[in-house]
Amino acid sequence: MTELDDNIQPVSLTLAPYTGLWTREHAAHLLRRTLYGPTFPQIQQALTLGMQATVDQLLTLPTTEPPLTFSADDGVSAIGETWVDKVYPAAAQTAESTRRLSLFAWLMSRINQGGFSIQEKMSLFWQNHFAAQFAFDSRASYTYFELLRSSCLGNFRQLVKDITIDPCMLVFLNGASNNKFSPNENYSRELLELYSIGKGPQVGDGDYTNYTEQDVAAGAKILTGWTIQNFLSTTVNTTSSAFVSTLHSGGPKTLSNRFGNAVVNSAGATEYKNYIDVIFQQTETAKFICRKIYRWFVNYDLTSEVESTVINDMANTMISNNYELLPVLRELLCSQHFYDLSVRGAIIKNPMEYAFSMYNSSLSKPTYSLPINTELYYNLYFIIGALGMEYAKPPSVGGWTAYYQAPSYTRLWANSSLVKLRFDLSDNANALGGINIQGNRWGVDHIALLNSLSMPDSAEDVIEDLVLLFCTKGLSDAYKMQLKALLTNGLPDFEWTLQYNEYLADPTNPDTINPIKSRMTVTLASIFKSADFQLI
Amino acid sequence: MNRRKFVQTISLASLGAPFMMRGMGMEAITKKLFDVPKIVGDRVLIMIRMNGGNDGLNTLVPLDGYDNLAIQRQNILIPQGSLLNIAATNALHPALTGFRDLFNDGKLGVVQNVGYPEQNRSHFRSMDIWTSGSLSQNETRGWLGRMLDAEYPNFPTDYPSEENPDPFAISMGYEVSTTCQGLRANFSHSVNNPFEVVNLPNTTTVNDGTYYGSQMEYLQMIISQTNLYGTQIRDAANAGNNLSTLYDLNNPLAKQLKNVARMISGGLQTKIYILNVDGFDTHDSQVQQGSPTLGTHANLLKRISDAVYAFQDDLRLLNLEHRVIGMTFSEFGRQVASNASIGTDHGDAAPLFLFGSCVSSGIYGSNPTIGNTVVNQEGLPMQVDFRDVYASILRDWFLINETEVQTFFEHEVSYHNIVGACNVGVNETTLSTKELVLYPNPCIDSTTLKVEANNELIKVVLYDLSGREVAVLLDQFLDAGTHQIPIKMHGYAKGSYRVQVIRKTGMESLQLIKL
Repeated sequence: MTELDDNIQPVSLTLAPYTGLWTREHAAHLLRRTLYGPTFPQIQQALTLGMQATVDQLLTLPTTEPPLTFSADDGVSAIGETWVDKVYPAAAQTAESTRRLSLFAWLMSRINQGGFSIQEKMSLFWQNHFAAQFAFDSRASYTYFELLRSSCLGNFRQLVKDITIDPCMLVFLNGASNNKFSPNENYSRELLELYSIGKGPQVGDGDYTNYTEQDVAAGAKILTGWTIQNFLSTTVNTTSSAFVSTLHSGGPKTLSNRFGNAVVNSAGATEYKNYIDVIFQQTETAKFICRKIYRWFVNYDLTSEVESTVINDMANTMISNNYELLPVLRELLCSQHFYDLSVRGAIIKNPMEYAFSMYNSSLSKPTYSLPINTELYYNLYFIIGALGMEYAKPPSVGGWTAYYQAPSYTRLWANSSLVKLRFDLSDNANALGGINIQGNRWGVDHIALLNSLSMPDSAEDVIEDLVLLFCTKGLSDAYKMQLKALLTNGLPDFEWTLQYNEYLADPTNPDTINPIKSRMTVTLASIFKSADFQLI
Repeated sequence: MNRRKFVQTISLASLGAPFMMRGMGMEAITKKLFDVPKIVGDRVLIMIRMNGGNDGLNTLVPLDGYDNLAIQRQNILIPQGSLLNIAATNALHPALTGFRDLFNDGKLGVVQNVGYPEQNRSHFRSMDIWTSGSLSQNETRGWLGRMLDAEYPNFPTDYPSEENPDPFAISMGYEVSTTCQGLRANFSHSVNNPFEVVNLPNTTTVNDGTYYGSQMEYLQMIISQTNLYGTQIRDAANAGNNLSTLYDLNNPLAKQLKNVARMISGGLQTKIYILNVDGFDTHDSQVQQGSPTLGTHANLLKRISDAVYAFQDDLRLLNLEHRVIGMTFSEFGRQVASNASIGTDHGDAAPLFLFGSCVSSGIYGSNPTIGNTVVNQEGLPMQVDFRDVYASILRDWFLINETEVQTFFEHEVSYHNIVGACNVGVNETTLSTKELVLYPNPCIDSTTLKVEANNELIKVVLYDLSGREVAVLLDQFLDAGTHQIPIKMHGYAKGSYRVQVIRKTGMESLQLIKL
């Protein structure tokens, strides 16, 4: 157990670049934290590229295709065509139902086909942060998710401004019905409490250290007048937000002493931007988001040491870069602290990470017709939802509890009911052939996984590679021996080599495929139900 | 070890030396009282979380403020004619027919204006405060977790055990409850389907002291507990029974409460069950436009009221009523004035419901004052600290002594007489600390009501079980201090009565049993 020896090293709390040896364990750690289920070739690629080049590649955004119509129920767009820029038919609800499923499927397909980019991890990070539910017009939901995706490495302040008047958000937190005659505080409160500066300890009546109830009320007035347009429209092909000056509360709004009694002057449609600029003048705003980035990528435990070192340093980088996210992430992902052994395996996988570490690491993508693939994807969407993480419907405006609820944090993903569901899902994906749509199955691709490893014909190497891929901190030699015995069915190693070579000689014959597939299934069943596999 | 056992077995015979009453042994009385074949078992607490912040003013409407409510929340106001009147100046939302019936049966208590000082209007912070039972930012344990830690300091190591084979608390659904968060682990076991067979594979590795090691230890513990508790729960569910036909299985809460009744009746020793209903954050469309008796809020209230009513019916048929009480809670109430989205924004205090045949039925606390003009962001001030509700439950339901109860809370606890209606026969010293006491109880021909007064008009009314007024026992101004009021029960039929004490600041009830 070399891991035990390694742990004696002191914990590094610096963001200075990691300069130690770049091993495949380091590469695997980086990819496990930034991708959903890295593949073995991706880990090898990262090993070859080195840390800096790997991080550079992770921090580039791929171009993505919009969701496509998969059912005649859409009524307007044909199957295979996108619906995101189409009007609704008279039977809008029928079309909306199928568009929503298409959107859910698309969210899953992006993660399944994400490539070598941090985009998917960052997009879900922002979904956890803003936590809007899907709107009643999926074009608005799509625009919202596209905003998160395209801005995921952009400017935090600009993203908050854009989200504030995003049509999906205007529906979600009642901004669209916030007007000068009767302000609705919902968005105004969450803007401060959850989206930008965050709440501090309550130190007086209505005083939450970073802001007060006065700011909640003033913010609600500042944000009055924004409405939504063209939801479920049969004539206009996109939803939008619109500013209606007659619904806007005029006059200057005075903020509390927490913002230096700043006055936000009446400025109509641009007033909210001036208000958000005031919020972003506080360094606490940078710290607030940096803590969340830290929890998402590094560790749930924000100790006072981490707070005074890592978080401070991240916030300084963010402020000196005018709230740009890219420099913060680059620094973090290349830092000594990020690779410190003390934080490896500290996070229990969320359901998205759990499911896709089986599907993606085995290079498994559904290969059927568009309608079947879509159905497979949205079925997986609901399965992952049952495990506690429905992408387009977080449990509350605070996002998923695992990212804020002390002291359990990510342990909340694996309580007694959920751990059982996880094991059920792994059985389904691994041993039972996966999700089944009219006989079209999508599960773990055992053969693709095997063929992606360094030496598929060597039982010992297969186990080493699988452990690297699936177990954060390696496994004991005894455990690896057990796994190898599962793979070889207790026979000498050369029997596996012979069996694999038989398959290579006749790779389309079920008689040669099935024996190695069944041994892989048994081996993976053991890995997927191990405690190690729950961690990243 | 003279440490108190959490949730003492409350077989009345076991409460120290049986005291005698006119030659009748306490055990004989017990038999008559509860008419149960075996001794009264352990007590159970049900908690129903109304997640999102329930609008108390549309739940329990203060009729003396109705005209002003019409000014402040006209677009969501329930028409007065649709409300369910339960007292001269209090009415329930029309969806709460189950609660109304329970109230009339003496099985529902309402505590008005429950909150805490300097209400925090963040859902998250406020829910943390409610679940931890503490205003301290540094408290990560739940209020029940603190209490369980005191009794089982090593949990989860070596649990389940022979002595404690069942989970201490069960959280229905897929989440554990933060109310039961202890120092090392959460005491609540999440159960979605109690009938499920659980047999998960497990490994053992040694915790190497890193985050990884501690997560591994946690995961192995949870897998092992899931297997062991899972078997106990399934066995209890299979052995248990449901007798009520009132459960609507399309109502998710009813479905869960049905399973809870089943587990209790099957002999599971779990003391606490926690259930959750989401959706109370009604910033918009709280009511259906133009039909204020319908809509989101009405549906949510109906779900809770119907489910609790069916559950209570089941408990009655299963002869379990005297073992189970329940309470609702929510992180805050909502503002007095409604908004333009036919909804309400985050507010402060709100009413809290207690149900079961052992709660002090009635309305506790006075009506909130509703102003005749809209004050921006105004909520309702708290009158009763929610932590004192918890403390009262610990003292009067779980029979934990006051010294120990105080150790679970940071503030100076004061008690409310809200869940002690079944504590008949408890000795006089325990009762002497309470503000409102009936003694002896059960009684034969007469009993005495001890009441604390504060220069105020006090009215005492005797009701029978059907809610009919039997007699006005007192209606006079009492000086400050303790008063002993003799109550003659000679000539009344044997059975259960409710003694209601009414004063300007609210109402309290006690159950009185005449032998």
